[in-house]
Amino acid sequence: MPLIEAHAVSYTYPESPHPALTEVSLSVEAGDYLAILGANGSGKSSLLRLLNGQRIPSSGYVRVAGLDAGLAENAALVRKTLCLVFQSPPDQIVSSVVEEDVAFGPENLGLERADIESRVEEALAAVGLLEERRRPTHALSAGQQQRLAIAGALAMRPACVAFDEATSMLDPPSREAVLRIMDELVARGVAVIHVTHDMAEAARAARVLVLSAGRVAFEGTPDELFSAADGRTQPPALTLGLGLPPAAHAARVLGLAPRAREDASGLAARLLAEHPEIRYAALPARTADVSDDSPIGQIPAAASPFPAFAAEDLAYAYLHGTLNETEALRGVSFSLDRGMSLALVGRTGSGKSTLLQLLDALARPASGRLKALGVAVPARQDAARRDARGKGGAPLLGRRRAYKAAVAEDELLRLRTRAPLSVQRPETALFERYAGDDVAFGPRNLGLFGAALVTRVRRAMDEVGLPFEAFRDRPIRALSGGEKRKLALAGVLALEPEALLLDEPTSALDPETRSAVLRVIGARRASGSTVVMATHSMEEAALADRIAVFARGRLVAFGSPRSLFYESYDPSWGVARPFAVELALALAAGGCGLLVQGARPLFPEEIAAVISSVTAADGAEGLR
Amino acid sequence: MKDLEFFRNLAIGQYVDARSSFHSLGAGTKGFVLFALALVAIAAPSPLGAALPFVAALALGRAAGLGSGFLVRGVKPALPVFVFAALLQFLFAWPGDSSPVLVAFGPVAATLREAWIAASVIARTASMIVAVGLYTATTPESEAARAVEEGLLPLARLGLPVHRLALAVATAIRFVPIVASELESVVKAQASRGGRFGAGRGGPLAKARAYLPLFVPVTVRALERAELLAEAMEARCYTGEGRSRDPRRSTMRGEWAVRAAAFALAAAVLAIDALILIPRIRPW
Repeated sequence: MPLIEAHAVSYTYPESPHPALTEVSLSVEAGDYLAILGANGSGKSSLLRLLNGQRIPSSGYVRVAGLDAGLAENAALVRKTLCLVFQSPPDQIVSSVVEEDVAFGPENLGLERADIESRVEEALAAVGLLEERRRPTHALSAGQQQRLAIAGALAMRPACVAFDEATSMLDPPSREAVLRIMDELVARGVAVIHVTHDMAEAARAARVLVLSAGRVAFEGTPDELFSAADGRTQPPALTLGLGLPPAAHAARVLGLAPRAREDASGLAARLLAEHPEIRYAALPARTADVSDDSPIGQIPAAASPFPAFAAEDLAYAYLHGTLNETEALRGVSFSLDRGMSLALVGRTGSGKSTLLQLLDALARPASGRLKALGVAVPARQDAARRDARGKGGAPLLGRRRAYKAAVAEDELLRLRTRAPLSVQRPETALFERYAGDDVAFGPRNLGLFGAALVTRVRRAMDEVGLPFEAFRDRPIRALSGGEKRKLALAGVLALEPEALLLDEPTSALDPETRSAVLRVIGARRASGSTVVMATHSMEEAALADRIAVFARGRLVAFGSPRSLFYESYDPSWGVARPFAVELALALAAGGCGLLVQGARPLFPEEIAAVISSVTAADGAEGLR
Repeated sequence: MKDLEFFRNLAIGQYVDARSSFHSLGAGTKGFVLFALALVAIAAPSPLGAALPFVAALALGRAAGLGSGFLVRGVKPALPVFVFAALLQFLFAWPGDSSPVLVAFGPVAATLREAWIAASVIARTASMIVAVGLYTATTPESEAARAVEEGLLPLARLGLPVHRLALAVATAIRFVPIVASELESVVKAQASRGGRFGAGRGGPLAKARAYLPLFVPVTVRALERAELLAEAMEARCYTGEGRSRDPRRSTMRGEWAVRAAAFALAAAVLAIDALILIPRIRPW
């Protein structure tokens, strides 16, 4: 008897014309490891809620440990067999103290105190939080909070834990910790269901199920999903619009058979075995060199006279002037030329979002100097001094100072729209009923109306792939999560900004929406906009002109992707290297030249081009 | 131009996260201590007695690792009130005041009785401020909700769903920072798009409309997050019934001693003040 069995389940949300799920069947055995993939809105989350009985299928049935999950009397038994861990860490915490939160589930089961104690201890030990058991939950980091949520599930001693995009809001080290816990669970015989958008994460599972528009579109092993077997030209993952894990993608463009679970050194070894000639080839990339690196954390001596952003010794603290004042940034200096792009990387809470807010003048530095698009953003202490001066002195002079202060303030307010910040999950700030109206909010605030306003809105909506004519009168409520993210981006683009400040613009998006958003940002870069973007994806960071690495409120490294990932890389930053870099390093270790071009690593496509040029030259020599 | 940082302006006490035996007392017990201190501050007949909670709260604060300046600083904003209270005493004479005159400026005289009363007012107020500061500095808001549950417990006999009520209160308090952070994020997003709130001209309707870009998304997000939390609780088998006996009750037993001691001390101080001190030192 399978542990969990869904047989041809369909489900339609009340008041929805379309079914969320249609005839979905799956089965999970004890100790299974199943990944569920699919676009935003394909029915993954609905499926999990059917499996644990929080929703009841319109047709078909779900059995958990042999019990009908649709029956109310089985609810407790079903939910302690199949526990859920959700996406957002703070939204799952019930208690103010760590161990009490873990005890919440067992208490609901009405267990004896001694039993609860031992379960809490066991669960906290499994996620590495035993030391924190007496701490307040709000004092935990996001990664710790998510591990706490897992402990809350484990305290039920479940036979299966289902993770609903539970890694999507975490930074890479926290994400890795959660993935390791999943591996340990599977090793202990606890089944794991992992709903994710990340192909590399899905590749760790034993089996993969792909949902598309509420139906099962694929079921098989990761190898079957990511490679083109059976005479197909494309791996199923690509026909389904999912994309490939970095290693499989690289293997494919390099003309090798993609393997689901392969690391850079494995792929490099295969590549060198297949094309030994590239070892001796004079690689064009090796000679190309651009001297573009500045010493870490310092303003380059030859800084352009018109930088987009120039910061000198910036500091910022939250809850300033209170006993709970916490330092968020300290000693941050850098300069970014107009038209360049900068990726901010580092762990959650390292200061990336704070810097973005300072650049947008949404917050003022506590001290230091900041110039954004030619406008000086005064530090808090300077501003206070200026205000004090304005109050004293001759009345006439005072009035003139007041006028100047008002002008300066206006300039700062205008700066916010010249370099607007798209906050994390910007779709949560949408407020109008219809899509077009929301995009118009920004340009309207700039004083535009009539035809000029419509032109702006049309251009921005077309740009993000929500055609104006089709989407202007769509109710925002009816848009999908991905469409809302695009709409929020359009709302910022409609300001025609000189610089774009983006806080994790691709977080928690499915692969298709993610690449659409990245395309829009790339197009803006190409047309000369300055872009500053916080991201947890090193693949995205490697595309930027400059990368700034933050750790505990300090800028620990600043430079081109090449200088950071090859020359001055330090694992203590808590930042992984992109796969392209790992591959280039593995090839270099195998005797190849280091595959970089100018300021950035060579991507697999370019390595493939190098290989084909080398093999073509070899072929020509052979002919001669 | 103000920084868009909302937490700083949230005036719900100032919890200081430190480890001390006072911190680890239950919120209800700390509430009892606060009550005992307040009782002495209000009911002590002499200014000396009324000042005792001030000293006691400072000592407790020190033991709780708050640092000596922290609680005293809380009194600072009240200084003008103290001056005003003292002036009021000295400007107006009590009828039948026969106590000796300390200082006299023309018709205005400061008698011993007036000084005594002024000192009492100041001592009582300062004691209260420091005692409340001690409570909020050592009790997170979420635990204050637990004290509510404890206070409601006797009503359970009347069939009131005390646990559910307390959970509702705790969740409401937990949502304050969540909603504040949502609001902060939305304000930042709209300010980035040129939104200026509160600057709108026109009637009250137009002004209210100007806040729609804030009100709508924050409300929607708060409801969404409430639903997510409810779902997470349901997934952990919460039904509101058949829960294990709450363990917090059993840990409370040791704390009854603290409560009893706090009240015994308060009663003793009041008794000594009223029966022994007053007859000897009161000058009239």
